[in-house]
Amino acid sequence: MSAGEIAEITGLTLRVALVATLVGIPPAVGLAWLLARREFRGRSFVQACIALPMVLPPVAVGVGLLLLLGRRGPLAPLLSALGVEVVFTWGAAALAAAVVGFPLLVRACQQSFAEIDPRTERLARSLGLGPVATFFRVSLPLARRGVLYGSLLAFTRALGEFGATAVVAGIIPGRTETLALGIWSRVQRGDDAGALLLCAASFALALASLWAAEGWLGRRPR
Amino acid sequence: MSEGTRVRVSLARAGFRLDADLAWDERVAVVFGPSGAGKSTLFEVLLGLHPRAASLVRVGGVLLDDAERDLHLPPERRGLGWVPQDALLLPHLRVRENLRLGAARGGAAGAGALERAIEVLEIGELLERRTTELSGGEQQRVAIARAVASGPRALLLDEPLASLDLELRARALRHLLRLRDELRLAILYVTHDPDEALLVGERVIVLDGGCVVATGPPREVLWSHAVLPLAERLGIENTYDARVVESSAGASVAETVRGLRLVLPFALAAGESVCVGVRAEDVLLSADPPGRISARNVIAARVDRCEASGADALVHLDAREPLIAKITTGAATSLGLAPGARVFAVVKAQAIRRLA
Repeated sequence: MSAGEIAEITGLTLRVALVATLVGIPPAVGLAWLLARREFRGRSFVQACIALPMVLPPVAVGVGLLLLLGRRGPLAPLLSALGVEVVFTWGAAALAAAVVGFPLLVRACQQSFAEIDPRTERLARSLGLGPVATFFRVSLPLARRGVLYGSLLAFTRALGEFGATAVVAGIIPGRTETLALGIWSRVQRGDDAGALLLCAASFALALASLWAAEGWLGRRPR
Repeated sequence: MSEGTRVRVSLARAGFRLDADLAWDERVAVVFGPSGAGKSTLFEVLLGLHPRAASLVRVGGVLLDDAERDLHLPPERRGLGWVPQDALLLPHLRVRENLRLGAARGGAAGAGALERAIEVLEIGELLERRTTELSGGEQQRVAIARAVASGPRALLLDEPLASLDLELRARALRHLLRLRDELRLAILYVTHDPDEALLVGERVIVLDGGCVVATGPPREVLWSHAVLPLAERLGIENTYDARVVESSAGASVAETVRGLRLVLPFALAAGESVCVGVRAEDVLLSADPPGRISARNVIAARVDRCEASGADALVHLDAREPLIAKITTGAATSLGLAPGARVFAVVKAQAIRRLA
């Protein structure tokens, strides 16, 4: 197995994880704020649904995504109208990773929003800031530690995502073969050396990412 | 708050009810009452946090709530500069950035007012500091300046001195009074401290148990029969605005507008104005001139009336200024303190506190 191949797989993995995280942040932050700040009917049900991808078998999540995005799925007309092919592309891998990491991201953000004294937001409003300005100038900056920590956790989770990705993106060398998928296919082929090399790369990436997350969390608050 | 402030609110929460219907024209009003009286809740309603509780709120002639017309301005459009008790500075912003939060609404007028406030409150040197590096008093002053910068129709100050120790309080109160007089802003000031209520307000609204107990000019209201039990519970004191007329090492003499002279236990420059307070229990009464005595203040006075208060009597005196002495009922009886009786009020200089 060449160094170029390892670099390619690692690069794709990083790209997939990064996109998965970035795509997840806006909806996660929005949902987290709603859950932390608003009382509404069905709140606990929403909370449970958000946690689902964390406990469901990842393969089941993949099948769900496949049903949703596939040729006969409800989103198929929209996707074909946009001329976008998702299934069996690296985009599908990113989407699968985003869904699986989403609960981690929402949890961390929600906790951070809940820790903000609600009077702080009221104070900003009294100074003339509307709800949107209050969110971006006060709530979000005050919750930034949680958002960053959650992002790093989701990113790390995305680096190792396998089950959902394999179903919805397939294992296509050079296109959708991330580290986790690459290890699996090499084990299947009996290429133990290659599998081990990819395991090492996977290990290094995950450790660096977690280390960054914990390091960030351990820094003095604010 | 000037030009017609009207507040009609009714709010019921678990175990608490606030009912108030108030109207006043004075610029500076004080909401006075013990903790749990509903003072902070009243502020929340004014700030627009309980729209359903506010049937009519008009501040400085501007309508903020009118339930009949289903009008409820959102908090950001009410133009009330709120200063909470704990300042609530934003920890992720420096002092200067905190002050800028309300700049969009404050506009040029707010910027001008902010410049004056920075000077009056002496926070010019704090602008680049982190808010976490500030002392309690400094945080409080920054919070007040921040509210001023948002160009409010009125400042809502919620117990701004409650978290400060005595020495800092006097200093903070001086700052506040200067701000009140120089910026000419309408102010609604919440306190449970009768000294502050007397010094700050042109009108006092007394709240207890969610109801308005009394309202009117501070001296009348705080010494009125309806408020006395409450005021006494809070430790009401005699407070005076005075000007220093004599000064020597370690002591000075100050005189009020009506001519009450007091020897103070600290040196002040002649001509300086001070606010001082004396607790009612620190005032002794003597039926005869006390002769040679260590106390520096012997004040000839006339008994206005006596009020029983448990085992004590509150003797209201006319000593050019109103003065209240708290003595035991037995002492009051043996001195024969009938209205009109002449007495001498004795106050140690050491018992006089400087408030501002």
